[in-house]
Amino acid sequence: MTTKTRDEVFAHLRDTLVDLFEIDAGKITLQSNLYTDLDIDSIDAVDLVLKLKEFTGQKIQPQQFKHVRTVGDVVDAVMEILTAAQV
Amino acid sequence: MGVLLDSAVGRGWRVTATGFVFIVFGLGAIVISATMFPILRVTAWDKTRARWRIQRAMQLTFRAYVWLMRSLGLLTYEVHNVERLWAPGQLIIANHPTLIDVVFLVSLMPRVDCIVKQGLFRHPFLRWPVVWASYIPNRVGEELIQDCAATLRAGNSLLVFPEGTRSVPGQPLRMQRGAAHIALAAGVNILPVTIEVSEATLTKGYPWHRVPRRRPHFCIKVGEPLPPSVYNAERRSPVLAARRLNEFFVDYYSAVGAQNQSWPP
Repeated sequence: MTTKTRDEVFAHLRDTLVDLFEIDAGKITLQSNLYTDLDIDSIDAVDLVLKLKEFTGQKIQPQQFKHVRTVGDVVDAVMEILTAAQV
Repeated sequence: MGVLLDSAVGRGWRVTATGFVFIVFGLGAIVISATMFPILRVTAWDKTRARWRIQRAMQLTFRAYVWLMRSLGLLTYEVHNVERLWAPGQLIIANHPTLIDVVFLVSLMPRVDCIVKQGLFRHPFLRWPVVWASYIPNRVGEELIQDCAATLRAGNSLLVFPEGTRSVPGQPLRMQRGAAHIALAAGVNILPVTIEVSEATLTKGYPWHRVPRRRPHFCIKVGEPLPPSVYNAERRSPVLAARRLNEFFVDYYSAVGAQNQSWPP
């Protein structure tokens, strides 16, 4: 399994957000707040986590995303999951 | 009478009467919860019948409150197409300009489910009527949507305020997507109700004694039911469909929102 870089994870995440929620790609940065900037609510988050499960190939516990506020936080969480899977 | 109530003296009276009504609401809720509701529950055959009785009792209680407010000269009101509220299994949505919107709407329906603050379920007195009425606690997320969809599919009407809280004066209406998610999950008719108020009254962020200069007039208009074939015609993904539907709600209510928000309290 090839290791993914943060940039690749961010790029994939951005594409997922555009696909799932029709968000303008230009609005998505690492600092974007999911709720206040990108209008993603708790129901949307469930769908997002499902897509990330597919991406990482790992089971994801909702608790892992409990403190996620920004796009950067999501990238960090996904990197953690991918790294843990490699061990 | 109207002119008198709009005068300075009238306004003073309305402040006093408002305070009185708040006390009656508060004490009344506790007394009724400790007496009438338990009697209704205990004497009912089963939970389902208890639920109908309690919901009917809620209606009659709130109707009495509306009568009290009108009798004391605090407000006037008119309702259009009320019979549309009585069809079963509808998702009833409304804008939320004042504290007493729920009182008006529940007073018009013998049976309706409501979403209520979770805290009420822990209240020593009020928890019993809300449990017996089968009201739904306001938990965050997917569970709430599923609970609401389930009661709608079972044929019970549900009242939801898409804004989630009272409208903020001077700002455009912000509708959260919960109501849209519920509609799409349940697949039932949506019945939009519009609440117009002539003066900002019992508005979010303002204390109870800031009564408006003139006696407010409430105009409650029940719209036409929207079937799923209309609001979910495109059959998009649930996430996108909810966004589209919510945008529709914002548009639908934009006119009344602008009108209500234009009055300084």
